Amino acid sequence: MTIENGSLTIMNKIFTYIRRKLSVRVSLWVVFFAAIIFNVALGFLFYQSREAVRQEAISRATTILEKTSLRIEGILNRVEVASNMTKWLVQRHPDKADSMFVYSRGMLLNNPDFYNCSIAFEPYYFKDKGRYFSAYTKHTGDSLRTTQGGSDYYQYFFADWYLMSQLLGKPCWTEPYMDLDVATNTSEMVTSYCQTIKNKQGQVIGVINTSLSITWLSQTISAVKPYPNSYSIMIGRGGTYFVHPDTTKITRQTIFTQTLEHPDTALTALGHAMQRGEEGIKQMNINGEDSYVFYKPLGQTGCSMAIVCPESDIFGGFDRLRNSVRAIVLVGLLLMLYLFIRIITRELRPLRRLAHEAETIASGQFDAVLPDFQRVDEIGQLSQSFGNMQQSLVKYIEELKDTTAQKASIESDLRIASGIQMGMLPEKFPTKDDRDDVQLYASLTPAKEVGGDLFDFYFRDEKLFFCIGDVSGKGVPASLFMAVTRSTFRTVSAHESMPDRIVTLMNKTIADMNTNHMFVTLFVGVLDLPTGRLHYCNAGHDAPLLVGAGVGELPCDSNIPVGFMPTWKYSLQEAQIFTGTTIFLFTDGLTEAMNADYAQFQMERVNDVAFQALSQQQQEPRQLITRMTEAVHQFVGDAEQSDDLTMMAIQYIRQQSDVRMRKSLVLPCDLQEVPRLNAFVEEVCQEVGFDETVAMQAKVAVEEAVVNVMKYAYPPGQQRDVTIEAASNDVRLKFTIIDCGQPFDPTVQPEVDTTLTAKERKIGGLGIHIIRQNMDSINYERIDNLNVLTLRKKIVKIDN
Amino acid sequence: MKVRIEEQDGNAVAILEGNLDTAAAVETEKAMRPLNDVEGKDIIIDCTDMAYISSAGLRIFLGILQNAQAKGGHVYIKGINDNVRAVFTITGFSNIFEFK
Repeated sequence: MTIENGSLTIMNKIFTYIRRKLSVRVSLWVVFFAAIIFNVALGFLFYQSREAVRQEAISRATTILEKTSLRIEGILNRVEVASNMTKWLVQRHPDKADSMFVYSRGMLLNNPDFYNCSIAFEPYYFKDKGRYFSAYTKHTGDSLRTTQGGSDYYQYFFADWYLMSQLLGKPCWTEPYMDLDVATNTSEMVTSYCQTIKNKQGQVIGVINTSLSITWLSQTISAVKPYPNSYSIMIGRGGTYFVHPDTTKITRQTIFTQTLEHPDTALTALGHAMQRGEEGIKQMNINGEDSYVFYKPLGQTGCSMAIVCPESDIFGGFDRLRNSVRAIVLVGLLLMLYLFIRIITRELRPLRRLAHEAETIASGQFDAVLPDFQRVDEIGQLSQSFGNMQQSLVKYIEELKDTTAQKASIESDLRIASGIQMGMLPEKFPTKDDRDDVQLYASLTPAKEVGGDLFDFYFRDEKLFFCIGDVSGKGVPASLFMAVTRSTFRTVSAHESMPDRIVTLMNKTIADMNTNHMFVTLFVGVLDLPTGRLHYCNAGHDAPLLVGAGVGELPCDSNIPVGFMPTWKYSLQEAQIFTGTTIFLFTDGLTEAMNADYAQFQMERVNDVAFQALSQQQQEPRQLITRMTEAVHQFVGDAEQSDDLTMMAIQYIRQQSDVRMRKSLVLPCDLQEVPRLNAFVEEVCQEVGFDETVAMQAKVAVEEAVVNVMKYAYPPGQQRDVTIEAASNDVRLKFTIIDCGQPFDPTVQPEVDTTLTAKERKIGGLGIHIIRQNMDSINYERIDNLNVLTLRKKIVKIDN
Repeated sequence: MKVRIEEQDGNAVAILEGNLDTAAAVETEKAMRPLNDVEGKDIIIDCTDMAYISSAGLRIFLGILQNAQAKGGHVYIKGINDNVRAVFTITGFSNIFEFK
């Protein structure tokens, strides 16, 4: 496993190297194709040459075999002719025993290559010679020895050679056998030609036996060697080896012996073919070597000889040549590869330098000096183009630097503007820990550095003033318009408590100075905190959701956005907000938030999220907005924020307490009634447990409020009443001062400046100031043509 | 509401007694009008026995002060109780009057 990985790593390294080196790659391709061409050409050449060599070998071997067989046949013929001659001589002089020695000797004298010759006679043929007579001549060294063969120890007429020709009735060649020379006690493997001698009466009188030494024959045959490792074999009729390089096999084994142990059809077929006296060529495996076998019968002897030529011998020279050529080609290709790599590398060196310089330029050194190659080829052109590119780059970078610097300056301004804009928005949101009547949360996410959305809220006289708006367009113009809108809202709402009045006045102010035809959709609400009554005015903005007993839209009149028509009269609407209900306000950045597929978030999803929040009791402002924000982020995904997104949630949480005390007093509008009023207030204060100081504060405040009504509510001379109601629960004491005079909201009167000197101060205007200072809240409402002014003061319980 | 104007140690002293509410203001202003004619003397308003004051009362005080200051005189408030002083404080009158 490790080794495999190791080799894999090495292979990877090699491939990576090749991929990185153009010179190596090109060279490899060239050499690869050259190798293919060489291979095909040489392959064809080798095939043709090999065929030629084979044909040559066949013809050569065949010729040699032919010659050898002719030669052997010549020898054998000579034996037969000489034997016939001698027979004739013997038959002419059959009674002269001594002549037989002469004939026998003469045979060997004339044919020195014969091994021996014996002319043997039937027992007692020569009466005087006894039972045995055989004229036997044999070479001994350089001379001939002629003796009388046959004795009691060698009764020749039982030998194969003596009997064979008689039995066959014709001269024949014996199978090889051991011939024992009694005189020298040496033996020799021989084959003999035996011919029966008959007298005139046709009786057998003896046998002429002429022997050839197998060893000599074998040498004669083996002397013929077409190839160094080729050898000859000769088999007899039965397949017995007469000639074989392994002398131990001669006469002891047949050509089939081997196939008994290891069946070899090719060898068997060869044996049979040779036995049948056929002539031919066989290609086969002999003793583990691919060889060609050329075989041919030897005349009438029944023997067959074969020349075995190993292929390695035949093709030895050819293979050596081929290997040499291959080696030369291989070395040539490697040399070629090396040279190509060197040449291409050298040719591409400028390119590498160019790459290096390009890297330098890429790293930011645009003043790097490019080499001048003085070349007109593609590399030279590239170098020149590169130089031009560098010059252009330097130029553009300079321009880019300027642009970037300008952009950075604008961005810096925008950042500051964004900071200023965000600073305009309220940052502290009251929670239930801060107030017991309302909690609120809002978030504004501009699409660009600065945005055109706005929200605002503040508390005045137990009322929550709030607004949300969306200026047409985005970016800097929208943000400026937003700033104007927001400050106008603050200015106007400081003196107006009714949203329709606030919006109408804002519209007039903004429309008068709106030369760029921008506009802002606006929702302004005033929530009366003690009662939960909401007054609102919607100027073309998305209707807020009420999340309380269920989820539903706050019904909104169709007013035009602020900024178009200075004379438009905006309508006022009213709703009762119940404890626990959250008012959810938003800009169209929420419903129109787009994901990457340009699908919008839409109102259904807003409703769904609100509904889920409600069902999980998560409708508190911060929770609701967090959930909504998460839902939008999940929906939008990675898409760029398309519009400013603003949300504001206001939850009314005031728990109404039980009324503990309720008293009322109706006074005519006569200042002389003030002591009665003060007595009433004193009594009430005593009842709720105010100490003298607090009671004094309440007394002064109520007096100021009531005197105000007495003095200004009615035209002079009209005798009307003013009603003072006092009510308390566990938490607060409330005075309600009601009159039916002309509408008058004391809460929007300008504040007195208490820091002026005595000379600068005006007489008057102190009343409302004293009320504000002495009471916790002051609230004016015009209900059913009545002025209703409510003053509240907390009851501080002193634990005993 | 009772108002007495006396001369004590060369100063004009107005002694107020009772509740100076809006109802009492008309009479009180009348009663204190002589103080506008005081010249070359400091005016001391003795509030020791004044239990209550509303803005109507403060206006009278401011009128006397502005008149006196125009002539280069001083107006001192004397013996003021805590509750009344609180009204002076929230209206900023504590800054323009001198207290004894």
